[in-house]
Amino acid sequence: MKKIIYAVLATLSGLVLVFSYRTSLDAVQPIAATDTAASSGTAATTTPSTSDDESSESSSDDESSEGSTSSSSGSTSSGSTSSGTTETTASGLTDGTFTGGAANTRYGPVQVQITVSGGVIADVQVIDYPNSNREDQQINGRALPVLVSETTQAQSSQIDMVSGATYTSQGYIASLQSAIDQANA
Amino acid sequence: MGSLTLSRSVRVEEIMGMPISIHILNHSGMLDATAERAIEACFAELRDIDRVFSTYRDDSDISRIARGELALTGADPRVVEVEAACRAAAIETAGLFSATWKGSFDPTGYVKGWSVENAARRHLAPLVAHETAVGINAGGDMQLFTAPGADWRWNVGIADPRRAGEIIATLEVQNGAVATSGSAERGDHIIDPRTGEPARGVVSASVVDDSLTRADLWATAAVVAGFDDRSWVARSGTRTGIVIADDGRVTRWLDGTSVDVATGAALL
Repeated sequence: MKKIIYAVLATLSGLVLVFSYRTSLDAVQPIAATDTAASSGTAATTTPSTSDDESSESSSDDESSEGSTSSSSGSTSSGSTSSGTTETTASGLTDGTFTGGAANTRYGPVQVQITVSGGVIADVQVIDYPNSNREDQQINGRALPVLVSETTQAQSSQIDMVSGATYTSQGYIASLQSAIDQANA
Repeated sequence: MGSLTLSRSVRVEEIMGMPISIHILNHSGMLDATAERAIEACFAELRDIDRVFSTYRDDSDISRIARGELALTGADPRVVEVEAACRAAAIETAGLFSATWKGSFDPTGYVKGWSVENAARRHLAPLVAHETAVGINAGGDMQLFTAPGADWRWNVGIADPRRAGEIIATLEVQNGAVATSGSAERGDHIIDPRTGEPARGVVSASVVDDSLTRADLWATAAVVAGFDDRSWVARSGTRTGIVIADDGRVTRWLDGTSVDVATGAALL
C-alpha cells in the first residue's frame, strides 16, 4: 500500500514542506530521493512554491525539484520578515500554499496541497484526485479529515455532528453532541 | 457554511443503551407531520431491532439462540440476514471482525451500524425531497443525507479520544456515514477475534463510507488490526478515515492511500 507522508520541518530560516511518497511493493516511480529528513529512501521533497521572494540561503539545498510533478522549486525563508527573527509563530510554518507531488494510486494520481496561514496549516486539500468510478464528487474537495492542530479555526466551530467511540448515556450528558443537540432542540 | 438561515430541529431518544439524535435542517425551522412521522418510524424501527437483537433482554432472539431455545432458522428473518452478513464480514475482514464470541453468536458489533443505516435509509433519506438535510447520530456513528443540489455540508467532528469534550479532527460530508470505534468511552470493549484478547494500540478509529454498516465494520476492524497494520485500508474500499494510537500517533487515508504526518513533525 502506498503512503503519502508529509512533514513540516523547521529549518533555521524557515520551513520546508516535505512530501514524501513512500511506496512499498507496488512502487510508483520513486520520486527522487533527496535529503534525509523525510523517512525512508524514496522521499520526494517539494519545496514551497510560495509567492514571496525566495531569499536563497540554506534551504536551497533541499530543492529536489525533479519531483514528478509541477510544484517544487523556490525556497522558503522568512520572506519579507526580518531574517533572524524567525517568524516562528505557533508552529513556525511559513505562510503559503504548498503542493506535493502526485502519488499514483490504483485509482489514479493523488496530490495534496496544504495552505499555511498565520504559521499553522489552515487547509489540506486533495487537489488532484481520480474521478475513478466513485460517484460522489465531494471527495474531490477536502474529504480528508483535517486535524484541528492543523487548522486555525476554533475547534468546535460549526460542528454539526460528533463521531466518537460509542458513548453511554452518562457519557452523552457531558458530550459535545449533547450540547449540539440541546442548542437546537 | 450552509445556506442562509438554515434551521435545525433535533430529536433525541435513548435506544439500544445509547442516545440517538436525529437532525433535520430546513428553512422553516419547523417539522411538518411527514417529518415527525418519519422520525417516529425511524425510532420505532430501532426499538424493534433492540427487542430482537439485544443481549440485555432475556426474551430477545439473540438471547434465546444463546440459550439454545431458538434455532437460527426459526428466528426473526433479520437475525438470519445478519448472521449471514456477519459471516461474510468475517471473511472480508480476514478475521478482524467476528460475530462469534466464545462459541456463541453475538452480532452486537454489527447490528448497530446495520440497523441505523437501514432505518435511516428507509425513513429519513426520503425526507430530503423536502428538507435540506437529514442526519442520524447513534452513539457517535452517523448516516447523513443532503438534498441534491443543496450546498449544505455536514461538518463532522471526530472526538478526541484522550480529551473528553474536545474534537481532534473535522471533516465534511455531504452524503455518507462516519463511524468511530475505540476504547475511549467504554474501556477495552473490542476483542481481537484472532487472539481472544482485548485489541490494543488504537484508541480511536474513524471510518467514512457511503454505508454506515461498512463504516462501522471497518472502524471495528481498524481497532483490531492495530495502528501499524494498515494492509486492510486499500481493500476496505472506504472513502477516508483517521486512526489514533494510544501514544498519540495519527494516520489518515484517502481511498486506500495513507496520508501520514512524518514522525518528528512539529504538528502534533
